[in-house]
Amino acid sequence: MQKAVLEGLLFVVGEDGLTLEQIEEVLEIDEGRAKELLMDLKKDYEEEDRGLRIDFLGNRFKLTTKFEHKEYYHKLIENPETNTLSQAALETLAIIAYNEPITRIQVDVIRGVGSASIIRKLVAKGFIKESGRSEAAGRPILYETTNEFLDYFGLSSTADLPKLDEILQDVSKEEDTEADLYKSRYKEN
Amino acid sequence: MELDFKIQDFEGPLDLLLHLIKESKMDIMNIEIELITKQYMDFLNEQEKLNLEVSSEYLVMACELLEIKSKMLIPNNKDKVEEEEKVDPREDLVNRLLEYQAYKDITKVLQEKELIRKEIYTKLPESIKNYSDGDNEIHCDVSLDDLISAFQKYYQRKIDSKPIKTKVTVKEISVSSRKHDIKSILKNKKRVSFFELFPVVNKEYIVATFLAILEMAKEQEIKIIQDKEFDDIVCEAI
Repeated sequence: MQKAVLEGLLFVVGEDGLTLEQIEEVLEIDEGRAKELLMDLKKDYEEEDRGLRIDFLGNRFKLTTKFEHKEYYHKLIENPETNTLSQAALETLAIIAYNEPITRIQVDVIRGVGSASIIRKLVAKGFIKESGRSEAAGRPILYETTNEFLDYFGLSSTADLPKLDEILQDVSKEEDTEADLYKSRYKEN
Repeated sequence: MELDFKIQDFEGPLDLLLHLIKESKMDIMNIEIELITKQYMDFLNEQEKLNLEVSSEYLVMACELLEIKSKMLIPNNKDKVEEEEKVDPREDLVNRLLEYQAYKDITKVLQEKELIRKEIYTKLPESIKNYSDGDNEIHCDVSLDDLISAFQKYYQRKIDSKPIKTKVTVKEISVSSRKHDIKSILKNKKRVSFFELFPVVNKEYIVATFLAILEMAKEQEIKIIQDKEFDDIVCEAI
């Protein structure tokens, strides 16, 4: 019965999704049982005769359609929204995601251009949010990515991001970029 | 090399540099700074010829390139012992290019993920009111008259809550009234010091009085005399 209730719960919350804690609370079960139920339901949905699936997106469990059925949805929806993010927006998001929390100036330094308007747009879209202020001079605003950002790219959590190290190769990342910003660029060795 | 792309195609100077390096098939770890600087400057000049404004970030990078270029031209006369500790002037730029390149590469991964995610759908949350107990239902036994009287009460409250209009006036000092005053002063005194005509220190008063004096002088009603520089100015009736 609990499994059926869980299915209903996932339907009701829709795109908002459920956290493990919410499931435990509503069903009055412990974490182990909640995970067990989820896995069980997830397995049911993987059957070929089911049209939905449980996805873990942006730190929440959500009921979604299956990617394999996309062509039918295309037929159903006449004008699927094809708006995608611009190169500048993607770049800025990537920099914030891998360095959060980060100030706008730090983003500017990495990109080599000003990012103020893009950051404003990303905040408006809900992909990033303010997360306090840096201790640096002027106490600039720090930004971090949101669960909406993760969901937008189909990521479960920040751990799901492609590994930067592999792409960065042998570029040694500066430990303290904040201090580096306000120091001269001269290096001892 | 023919450069037929626009600056708008680039996200910034780092993006432009990466493109130039790639086009010239250079090794990013060993940039031929002289060649790349020339290409970079040519590109900026081309933009200016097309009357396109080159944003300041591109110019900052141009300065950096020129600085690196000049540093590399200076022969290193220091002790050979220090050879190993010599910092390549390109090092900082190369690190920044590599870092930027990494994020640029990641955007490609993100873009793919973005498209895949667009192919799966979720739904909006159910309206919670479908699941509430129904206690909130309104039991409706009000008549149209009740609605009208409720509206009238609301309307009255709305009128009552409006701020009451009142007028706050400033005593106006007109040029003509000051002209009149000055005339009567001169009738009694014939000659009067310019400064005596400003007994009240108030902006409107001073402006009106000054204009009155100018107008009277123009209309040949008074004469303004100053014997020598910085002396008192005297107004005299004609």
